[in-house]
Amino acid sequence: MSGVRGLSRLLSARRWPRRSFTGTRVFMFGIVERISAQYPVVDHEFDAVVVGALRAAFGLSEAEFDTACVTKLFPTRSHTVAAQVGINAALGNMEGDNWRWHFYDTVKVSDWLGDQDAIHYVTENGLACPVSQPEIARMVLVVSLTEGCRGEGGILINSQGERFMERYAPIAKDLASRDVVSRWMTLEIREGRGCGPEKDHVYLQLHHLPPEQLAMPLPGISETAMIFAGVDVTKEPIPVLPTVHYNMDGIPTSYEGQVLRHGNGQDQIVPGLYACGEAACASAHGVNRLGANSLLDLACALSIAESCRPGDKVPPIKPNAGEESVTNLDKLRFSTQNHAAVFRVGSLLQEGCGKIKLYGDLKHLKTFDRGMVWNTDLVETLELQNLMLCALQTVSGAEAWKESRGVHAREDYKVRIDEYDHSKPIQGQQKKPFEEHWRKHTLSYVDVSTGKVTLEYRPIIDKTLNEADCATVPPAIHSY
Amino acid sequence: MRRDAPSGSGPPWLPWSAGRAARSSRKCPRSRFPVQVGKMAVATVFSTSSRMLALSRHSLLSPLLSVKSFRRFYRGDSPTDSQKDMIEIPLPPWQERTDESIETKRARLLYESRKRGMLENCILLSLFAKEHLQHMTEKQLNLYDRLINEPSNDWDIYYWATEAKPAPEIFENEVMALLRDFAKNKNKEQRLRAPDLEYLFEKPR
Repeated sequence: MSGVRGLSRLLSARRWPRRSFTGTRVFMFGIVERISAQYPVVDHEFDAVVVGALRAAFGLSEAEFDTACVTKLFPTRSHTVAAQVGINAALGNMEGDNWRWHFYDTVKVSDWLGDQDAIHYVTENGLACPVSQPEIARMVLVVSLTEGCRGEGGILINSQGERFMERYAPIAKDLASRDVVSRWMTLEIREGRGCGPEKDHVYLQLHHLPPEQLAMPLPGISETAMIFAGVDVTKEPIPVLPTVHYNMDGIPTSYEGQVLRHGNGQDQIVPGLYACGEAACASAHGVNRLGANSLLDLACALSIAESCRPGDKVPPIKPNAGEESVTNLDKLRFSTQNHAAVFRVGSLLQEGCGKIKLYGDLKHLKTFDRGMVWNTDLVETLELQNLMLCALQTVSGAEAWKESRGVHAREDYKVRIDEYDHSKPIQGQQKKPFEEHWRKHTLSYVDVSTGKVTLEYRPIIDKTLNEADCATVPPAIHSY
Repeated sequence: MRRDAPSGSGPPWLPWSAGRAARSSRKCPRSRFPVQVGKMAVATVFSTSSRMLALSRHSLLSPLLSVKSFRRFYRGDSPTDSQKDMIEIPLPPWQERTDESIETKRARLLYESRKRGMLENCILLSLFAKEHLQHMTEKQLNLYDRLINEPSNDWDIYYWATEAKPAPEIFENEVMALLRDFAKNKNKEQRLRAPDLEYLFEKPR
């Protein structure tokens, strides 16, 4: 627990934070109407700058780092705080040897795509939660629906009024586990049997059940159905669709949250840069995430507190630092494009061939609102650009990934491909070379100007932090 | 997820103005570190002035000045948890803004309606904003401002709007009534996502 030892280095002397202005700069851009837009820039210096990650920001501040937190949301709005009710309820005490069982579970559930040093770190330090059911995707009534609906006798219907689960799971039917149900719902929608004008959801039917049965165990469902879907559950079916709940990929980091660059077969740390939480890929989750792990933010803060000191010197920033971002912003405000492209991301990505064209259309983006104060239009346009970059990389990586493992399930490549075939004894098997198996991390890079994605690969870290204390779990077949 | 509101359990909602002592029994994000909370600057992107919210130097000395155990973990609502070591994370109290124009206030409230801590409120408040924000008077805007910005947990707002829990007196006003009415979805609309912003710039018919 060296992170806490680091923090126990309490300084009794208070250090007043520096609010130093290293200077002001001005970016100026000429635009078509020959009015130059001026952007005065003020530089501030801090020990630590945290983008999002509220918990990490407080952790660093507690450790006496002069910290700035840059966030789109006011701190009380952050997801960690809002989710607090759920986290506190789910957490239990990690005592004794239990964490080793949890370590084993996490490795298994990650389908051996998780890095075992990262998993060792979070399970031993009690920062992860021993939930037995992996979260893959959840049925969604706008937000989510409990399995109670299905458990109470609700059935899933496609556009033809067919109870399609009977086809996929003749015995379990609608009571099959949720990850499997989500997958089959997606399949129905992809094959054109979705409901609604966009054919993008299926129906959960409850109105065949007696009203008393609905009211008693499921009062919240009736209300949510009315609030968000305008549906009276005693008369009509509820639209439901599978949704993305969590991103298991992200910026590659070490188990302590230090950002890594991969070159010449080696991981190199990018000094001073850390990533944690959903943005990062340490990877403690692999291809399946266990529940309630947003506290991993704190692990990151702790390891920073250990390796750096408040007041450490940092190299000066470049004179044109930030110019690219401001140029982009200026272009969005003053673009001369006249037509607004309507993005129909769902259908185009489905076709699989439109993604480069779609990226090209981004250069036509412009905002309606040109203001610089509380401009929601501008912020959401920037979000679109960022989301597009993420989507391009995710889709490209997934297309190239020709196997099924955990949440990455493909009908065209159903088998998991490791170095060895674990359905048979390993003796006598030839180990597959790195290029021919898929037990590896995909690294994707995107050229922002063209949208072209380049893919590389780096190996999984199998070695734990202390093999004597917690041995590596070798790969085995994982059936769902 | 529609969390069925627990009845009578959990600490009561208290406004910031009630004071720290009154709030000391509240659950909040907590850590076991017996350190004093340092000064921290929080910058919200695109705020009206380059506003860095400098927190006052609360010295929240934990009752446990020396820590016996260095185990780092989070405790749930275990009955044996005395919660004595809880440290509250100080956040600036909500204050009505008197220095911004009504247009800026409207633009700010639109942003704050659309960026929430959970999806239910993102959808509900952004649709509510689309319906009502443009017609609100300055007084109503201030009432709405308090409603969506003072509570520290988004779920509280959702429970009050859906009448799962009674709202504190201070929020019982015309805007709360509008929100409750809106939540009922009398026109039975499909409210599956936040609306796009085009409506702001469309010419009124």
